[in-house]
Amino acid sequence: MDIVDKQVVELKKLWKNKRQLAFQGLNLAMIVLSALMIWKSLMVVTRSESPVVVVLSGSMEPAFQRGDILFLNNQDDPIRVGEVVVFKIKDRDIPIVHRIMKVHEKPDGTVEVLTKGDNNRVDDRGLYAPGQLWLQREDILGRARGALRYVGMVTIVLNDYPALKYVLVGIMGLFVLTNKEA
Amino acid sequence: MNTVWVRLNAVVFFGLTVLLGLALMTATSTYLHEGHPTVKTLRLNKIKSFRSQSKVDRAIINFDLEADLAPAFNWNIKQIFVFVVAEFATKTNPLNQIILWDKIIEKPEDARLNLKKMHVKYGLIDQREELKGTDVTLHLYWDHMPLTGRLYTHSVAEDTFTLPMEYIRPGQQV
Repeated sequence: MDIVDKQVVELKKLWKNKRQLAFQGLNLAMIVLSALMIWKSLMVVTRSESPVVVVLSGSMEPAFQRGDILFLNNQDDPIRVGEVVVFKIKDRDIPIVHRIMKVHEKPDGTVEVLTKGDNNRVDDRGLYAPGQLWLQREDILGRARGALRYVGMVTIVLNDYPALKYVLVGIMGLFVLTNKEA
Repeated sequence: MNTVWVRLNAVVFFGLTVLLGLALMTATSTYLHEGHPTVKTLRLNKIKSFRSQSKVDRAIINFDLEADLAPAFNWNIKQIFVFVVAEFATKTNPLNQIILWDKIIEKPEDARLNLKKMHVKYGLIDQREELKGTDVTLHLYWDHMPLTGRLYTHSVAEDTFTLPMEYIRPGQQV
């Protein structure tokens, strides 16, 4: 409780010193906006609406497990067989990471592809929208180009327990505000 | 201010930085690794069946594969995903690529493949009925899937064969 009391004292002090309050507030905004800038620049560079994704299922095991992070690239190069891609089915929120097992390219360059998880027994037609047989280029958010392990568990836990998210963000914000060494 | 929290914060932050640094070093350490796996044979053994069903042409084949992918492994490889691709052109689609067979290899000891008359896992299926007399090229691909770092795929084209001008009736010898 001692910790909480000290924080409260710090906050009260901060409230009295308006100049310091403005400074710390700007500091907090700077951190948040820098993170946003990095994310948005990644979107521009990779041309993907979601340059980093967290693997949520075990359908690509043992290569990718729940909680792994994948870095995506969505440049214009033609989609080819065997690439691990992340795609999104219309009207469904959760993106899926699977491998392309069939590519049919038309004379005008448009493609129709079929995907399958390495660890699944059957292809993905059962996951697609009712009646959908093929994925189009625009369904694909990007190809997996790099992997980082376990980091995604943080987002998974935060999504499973949304309350934790607010608590954590709140604590971090408080510490940035009351941190005096800046 | 508060030493316990400041120290905890410092330890966690430093720990994460070290882990990230190690992951980056691991990823770059194998960047220039060239394994030079050998693919001795990949060829058609037999066309088992060739017919039209539900308005699409489908063929089932057997193939021979002799390859040693063990050199492709390094300490940052979690698994090699090896697959055989049939590539062909039809009137409707100038390019078709279809995986016929695949395998997950987790250990270099399992990477020496010697398959005779191997049955495909997935049929050679067109989008329409345009497979008669089509030239099909078989490719072997292997996808390097790392513990951490970059994903990359290598491939070789090995064998080309032509599908027959007529469907094969069940029981007919070819």
